[in-house]
Amino acid sequence: MANINLKAREIEVKIVYYGPGRCGKTTNLEQIFKAFRKQVTGQMVSADTEGDRTLYFDFLPMGLGKIKGYEVRVQLYTVPGQVKYASTRKMVLREVDGLVFVADSLEVRREKNMLSLKDLHMNLKDYGLTIFKVPLILQYNKRDLGEQGLPVMPVSLMERDLNRQLKVPSFPASAIKGEGVAPTLKACLKLTLQSLKKQLGW
Amino acid sequence: MDVKKEIKSLLNQAEVYKSQGLVKEAGDKYIRAAKLIQKNAKNIGNHKSLLQSISKQIRLVKESIRKQEEEPADREMSEQVQEIIRTKFAFSQDEKRLEIDGAIALAKFGQYARALDEFKKILGKEDFRLEAAKNIIRCHIARDVPDDAVRQYNNWLSETFLPGEQLGQIHRLLQDILKKKGIDTLLSAPEEIAETEGESSPAETAPGLNENEILDISSVGITIPEAEDRSRTYEYDVSFQSGSIINLLISDRDHSFLKSIKKGTVLEQTQFYSPIAMFEGKSLVVSVSRIESGPKTGHYSVDIQIQSI
Ligand SMILES: Nc1nc2c(ncn2[C@@H]2O[C@H](COP(=O)(O)OP(=O)(O)OP(=O)(O)O)[C@@H](O)[C@H]2O)c(=O)[nH]1
Ligand SMILES: [Mg+2]
Repeated sequence: MANINLKAREIEVKIVYYGPGRCGKTTNLEQIFKAFRKQVTGQMVSADTEGDRTLYFDFLPMGLGKIKGYEVRVQLYTVPGQVKYASTRKMVLREVDGLVFVADSLEVRREKNMLSLKDLHMNLKDYGLTIFKVPLILQYNKRDLGEQGLPVMPVSLMERDLNRQLKVPSFPASAIKGEGVAPTLKACLKLTLQSLKKQLGW
Repeated sequence: MDVKKEIKSLLNQAEVYKSQGLVKEAGDKYIRAAKLIQKNAKNIGNHKSLLQSISKQIRLVKESIRKQEEEPADREMSEQVQEIIRTKFAFSQDEKRLEIDGAIALAKFGQYARALDEFKKILGKEDFRLEAAKNIIRCHIARDVPDDAVRQYNNWLSETFLPGEQLGQIHRLLQDILKKKGIDTLLSAPEEIAETEGESSPAETAPGLNENEILDISSVGITIPEAEDRSRTYEYDVSFQSGSIINLLISDRDHSFLKSIKKGTVLEQTQFYSPIAMFEGKSLVVSVSRIESGPKTGHYSVDIQIQSI
């Protein structure tokens, strides 16, 4: 559960962007950094490879103001999507409060989306969480590539692949253009804070 | 689809995938395009130059796949990143532990040099001295400089800084790691240990085991005594790990091993191999069950719990 500091009257909430390699997790955070100037409270820090692939995580701190006298701080993280960084991915997921699963709309990445969702499911289980209860939002990213004539899956297919059982809110997006990024984050914050309030009995 | 259009579309896809870092997918499309061009060469005027430029692209793609595969999993990060690791990945509820947890987090993320600095600071604190010292040894090993670990141990040996019993534990830890690595350096033992040689030391047991000390274990070696002077070591890959519980899949052909264990068996000599280092310790068999369905039918699923490292 979120880190609650009674003395300082602060609540720290951890949101993690998960998904297969190259699906656009880091791009989401970059756009948030630009679009949520007022809420962002520090630099975006990226721990990446020599290329631009995430090696450990990206980190972006935000502040949401006060709820019931508590200062709510949100920390956004991305995990490395590449399969080989499994153990880091799991470390970054630890003590997560809310999740955004970014799926890649490209047809060629269909299977990778499913494998990554399954990986998320297993990792949550190891931490004693279940994917069916944790606050989770799906994002179908790179919709713009369809307009450029590239083979992109219809949203209905992605819903069937990924959201048939979960039935969580989902959003189409084109993170690179900033489209769909804010609604995704807002929905995730809403679910996460709701769940937090419930846990605190507020 | 018209072949020329199809080729054009494949090449367009390949370009986009490549620009997104989806190199494998890009390679597949280039290869398909090349095959189509070869098949339809007589209808494509510039097929030779096209094929030439595609094969160059395929070479480039292969090169970047290779580079990616060879990329090390660790890399020295900026101080800013290290500070986030140190402060945000220390999860202990116990405030006193936060400092050492932060240092352990740095080591887990491969920031060994910085982790070493932090562990050295912690050596001054009695409660965490032994844990910090063990982790210093592990960091040197993880950086693949066992010589530094040995030098560090010898320094401690010549000082009165670490109490003899703790020094004894470090001695066993390091000697064991060296043995596993096939390094035949023989460490001189601290006096206390030399005197009581042969006696096994009191092991740290499960309740004292710090969860953060349990790294990801990738395989285990279990030594089972067979006769008075003989023993046999079985090595298994870990199929799954959750905290201190490790699951092994064991073929039903491994009669002799399966015969020697049952629920409750204490495995006095277990070697745990993790990507960072190897530890010698004790484990407990918590369950043994035969798999009744699926491709592994007939195999055994064995859960062991790490008791001490
Ligand atoms: N066309 C298009 N490209 C995108 C979009 N989102 C991300 N990209 C591109 O996809 C590539 C990968 O994006 P990243 O944000 O680095 O992906 P990631 O999920 O963080 O990748 P890893 O860190 O390797 O897991 C980059 O070249 C981005 O520019 C999008 O909505 N549309
Ligand atoms: Mg990334």
